[in-house]
Amino acid sequence: MRSRAAAGILSGAGLKKVYSMGGGINAWKGLRAEGPPDSGMAYFASATRPEELMALAWYLEQGSHSFYSELSRTLTDRVAKDLFKELSIAEERHQKTLSGLYRDFTGPAFAAEFPELVIPSPEKGEIMEGGMLVSEALDWAKGKVIRDILDLSISLEANAYDLHLRMKARLEDPRSKEVFTVLSREEKEHLDRLSSLLEQKT
Amino acid sequence: MSIIDYFKPVSTWPAEKIRQFMKEKSTDEYNLVDVRQPKEYEKEHLPGAKLIPLGELKDRLSEIDPDKPTIVY
Repeated sequence: MRSRAAAGILSGAGLKKVYSMGGGINAWKGLRAEGPPDSGMAYFASATRPEELMALAWYLEQGSHSFYSELSRTLTDRVAKDLFKELSIAEERHQKTLSGLYRDFTGPAFAAEFPELVIPSPEKGEIMEGGMLVSEALDWAKGKVIRDILDLSISLEANAYDLHLRMKARLEDPRSKEVFTVLSREEKEHLDRLSSLLEQKT
Repeated sequence: MSIIDYFKPVSTWPAEKIRQFMKEKSTDEYNLVDVRQPKEYEKEHLPGAKLIPLGELKDRLSEIDPDKPTIVY
């Protein structure tokens, strides 16, 4: 009902194509994210230049990569093993994309600086998307059933995608925006794939 | 918002049609607006949705690109 009223307001304001979602969010079968509109943004708050955003994002991808590779290594269920392998490769691809962006940005002569000389690696240990320490997430995963680990992973991925899109909307500098445009585009592709894998698994 | 807004003819799309639409389009090609309250958004929302509670919508129209299709929930 609220969304119909909203659609009415928007049409009244002259917008041509407005669609209200029937049944609201309860009818939504896709991924859901959680948290307030600025959640996860504090992590990037210290960055003053696009290069620093790239480095900070790189460390998150690195953390997620470690988390997924470790799961893939330790789990015995074949399907889950392959799924986490695939996820860890996707994170690696994001890292390469970020390194590539940095190289395009600064020129090949400076490529070796990335990311350590742009921003030193986090002192308290590897952090993954969602802000959790990799070591804590792995401890949590010990002894959990696969379903729970998959649930955590899917929510991490949905929240990361959501964060990238919110960062993109929030940032004004075009080069900084570009970092999150590229990441969210890549994320979208692998989320579609992850969702169908999850449907098979459950 | 006036009572009239409730009676304007608007298109409703089933969630599945919206999911398909969003899958096919790039996120730059549409607006996705969550018009519920902040607490509801916090609990769960569609990835990338912009929160503009219904009561603030009229004052925040400038945040929505009028040239793109807009999905609201």
